[in-house]
Amino acid sequence: MTAPAPRPAPAAETAPTATTAPAETGGAPDGAGPEAGPPVLAVDLVTAPSLLEGLAELARGLESAGAGALTLSDGGLHPIHLAAHLAPLTEQIALLPRTDALYVEPFHLATQLMSLDHLSDGRAGWLLQAETDPAVPAAVGREVLGLEASAREAADVLGAVRAVWDSWAPDAVVRDTERGVYVDASRLQYADVEAETFAVRGPAITPRSPQGLLPVLVADTDRAAAGERVAGELADARALDVDVSVGARPERIAAQIAAAGPVGLVRLVGLDLEADPLGTVAQLVGALRGRGLIAEAPSHGSTLRTRLGLPAAPFQPDPARRADRARLSREEAA
Amino acid sequence: MTTAQLSSPTTGPAKHPLHPAHTPTGQLAFGVFFQGVNSSTIWRLPESGDQVAFESFETLARTAERGRFAAFFLGEGLRLREHRGVPFELDVAGRPDAQTLLAALAGVTEHIGLVATQNTTYNDPVDLARRLQTLDLLSGGRAGWNVVTTDNAWTGENFRRGGYLDHADRYVHAEAFVQVAEQYWRGAPIAHDGAHYSVRAQGELPRSAQGRPVLFQAGASPAGQDFAARTADVIFSPHGTLEAASEFRRAIVERTVAAGRDPGSVKILPGAEIILAATEAEAEEKVRWVRDLQIGPEQAIALLEQYWGRDLSAFDPDGPLPDVPPEVSESGVTRGAGFQFAKAEELTRSWREEAAAKGLSILEFARAKSGARRGEFTGSYDAVADRLAEFARMGAIDGLNITPWLVPSGIDDIVDHLVPRLQERGVYPAEYAGSTLRENLGLPPV
Ligand SMILES: Cc1cc2nc3c(=O)[nH]c(=O)nc-3n(C[C@H](O)[C@H](O)[C@H](O)COP(=O)(O)O)c2cc1C
Repeated sequence: MTAPAPRPAPAAETAPTATTAPAETGGAPDGAGPEAGPPVLAVDLVTAPSLLEGLAELARGLESAGAGALTLSDGGLHPIHLAAHLAPLTEQIALLPRTDALYVEPFHLATQLMSLDHLSDGRAGWLLQAETDPAVPAAVGREVLGLEASAREAADVLGAVRAVWDSWAPDAVVRDTERGVYVDASRLQYADVEAETFAVRGPAITPRSPQGLLPVLVADTDRAAAGERVAGELADARALDVDVSVGARPERIAAQIAAAGPVGLVRLVGLDLEADPLGTVAQLVGALRGRGLIAEAPSHGSTLRTRLGLPAAPFQPDPARRADRARLSREEAA
Repeated sequence: MTTAQLSSPTTGPAKHPLHPAHTPTGQLAFGVFFQGVNSSTIWRLPESGDQVAFESFETLARTAERGRFAAFFLGEGLRLREHRGVPFELDVAGRPDAQTLLAALAGVTEHIGLVATQNTTYNDPVDLARRLQTLDLLSGGRAGWNVVTTDNAWTGENFRRGGYLDHADRYVHAEAFVQVAEQYWRGAPIAHDGAHYSVRAQGELPRSAQGRPVLFQAGASPAGQDFAARTADVIFSPHGTLEAASEFRRAIVERTVAAGRDPGSVKILPGAEIILAATEAEAEEKVRWVRDLQIGPEQAIALLEQYWGRDLSAFDPDGPLPDVPPEVSESGVTRGAGFQFAKAEELTRSWREEAAAKGLSILEFARAKSGARRGEFTGSYDAVADRLAEFARMGAIDGLNITPWLVPSGIDDIVDHLVPRLQERGVYPAEYAGSTLRENLGLPPV
């Protein structure tokens, strides 16, 4: 993993006060990390099959137009796959699937998202969604959860996913030819999650990804179902939803950002792909960046965590969960 | 099978030499199998690449495309392998999620099929079917699914349902699972009530260019063969010698006919390791060199420890096999399917006898065992090309799924030296037959 380059702090006079402080919404840096600047501008794409034609071109166009991130909302095709597809076809834009935490296997979800982080060299994030459409639980043989249960489950899944992400030290693959050791088990740990409705043992089947912990955000539209604990406490930042299907006037959007409070992502929802999406985005980017309301274009190789002003996520070893504990206890017994 | 029958490799396909219901196509298709976790991928050489970096996968896939390979395969294991209760440290380990990775490869490749090994016990059928169809649509009809059925409770500890399935139910469950997936791909309404859960759903994505993902099956038990004969397009088999492959072909043809299908609609691709050089002598030398790098003293001891179920580190790798009995209760349960072993006493005794009779040390014995599993595709470029042409003429196999012993350059010599010789012999395609995996495997349309 390459150390993320710190992003230059925004010019003080243009940064609105609302966004200069580190996000209060959880994962808050304790003074150590880079400062949170203005939010990253994201364009939301809905993964309908019709999106496939010209998708790579569209993504690269939005990247050139200055969008900092793409969010992929579920419109049929799987959002994580579409994000992964775009990873090698783009260079700088961050990729955030907006995908369900509830009616999935937490272990698979964790692996898929950390794989996306590998594929994109640290440009991945998760826009956590708590599904409310009863068709989704019906497809996996479960009942739809009520608001309270859904919020609890979302929190448990988020905890489990992070435990899986944090199960390999960055230097666990040692390739020690002298000793014949490829991976050092003492640098792995079990997830050992026991939640109300599921358990996950771990460790991950995938080595630690470039960001270690992917940034987890909650879009405004998902806030109620995800619950206050996830959206307000556990997530790393909020995604402010801006509906541009009703028009993309910079003044209106600027006012919305200024009034919103601390956000990590400004998500343009409903962009008309038939009209002139690249022109619209370029124009918005120019106007909003000119006022210091959104972050500068990302520097090449910076991670999404850095761009969101989140501190690096160091491996947090827990002696009780060491993956080589069986060996240690054998040695002790001997 | 006599050697006389095996000569004259260039005379074109024979008429049903193995089974009256089977007409060989005389053609071979190659897949490359990026296992990710195994003891055959050498990681000790400076040219061994990163096992997770996208460029390793991309390089291998592009080389395979240059060699007109039909498929790029990824393996799957849903729990890190353990050895005596500790994650196994000596082999390559750690890989990305197969389908997520293939979705990325779809954008940087043009022709090659993209096949993900995915388990039916620890997935939900509609979720998996939707992902596979997404991959199929993203790649223009190049997706494949290698259906596997690992059922152990140890893997289940990572999943909501845990180890809920009895071993005997694996294929019953797998078949129901595949049926649900097929309904999803057809866009049909699904109302499945099974022993373990119920599914209500409706496929909502358009058909892909090949209709649906190609179904591979890997699993060799009689139940696995029946399952494959009823549902699979391709069997990823473990039988790589001409004799074993011919037997397997006969068995599959019988079963496919019994299931009411055309035996030509189920292809067989054994897993294979190919080690090549310009001459036979050089190839022999190379095989020894590869084995030395694959199985070091640590791996040799660990291999025996799996079956003995106890610490054997005090034994000299250059000495005879351990003269101590196995601890049966601990043998082999955590290395995943294929390593489970109940008859430890019997096996360890027979291994001791075999090694003593052949005068093999622990290290030599471990190297011999690991090589023996891998079929017979080592030798000079010409000799291997001749042998493969014979396999094709007989119709014993429809191709090979090749595990490179080095990533990502491990198939360079196959593409540069073996593929042209197979093309000269008329048993390997000069160009891709079509744009879909189904077409490139010579499968009938669905
Ligand atoms: C060539 C080959 C490759 C396999 N690859 C995988 C794999 O990548 N992941 C997996 O979980 N199982 C894999 N399997 C295991 C099978 O799916 C199956 O679980 C095992 O062979 C036992 O099934 P059986 O009793 O029908 O033989 C593979 C099997 C074969 C023969």
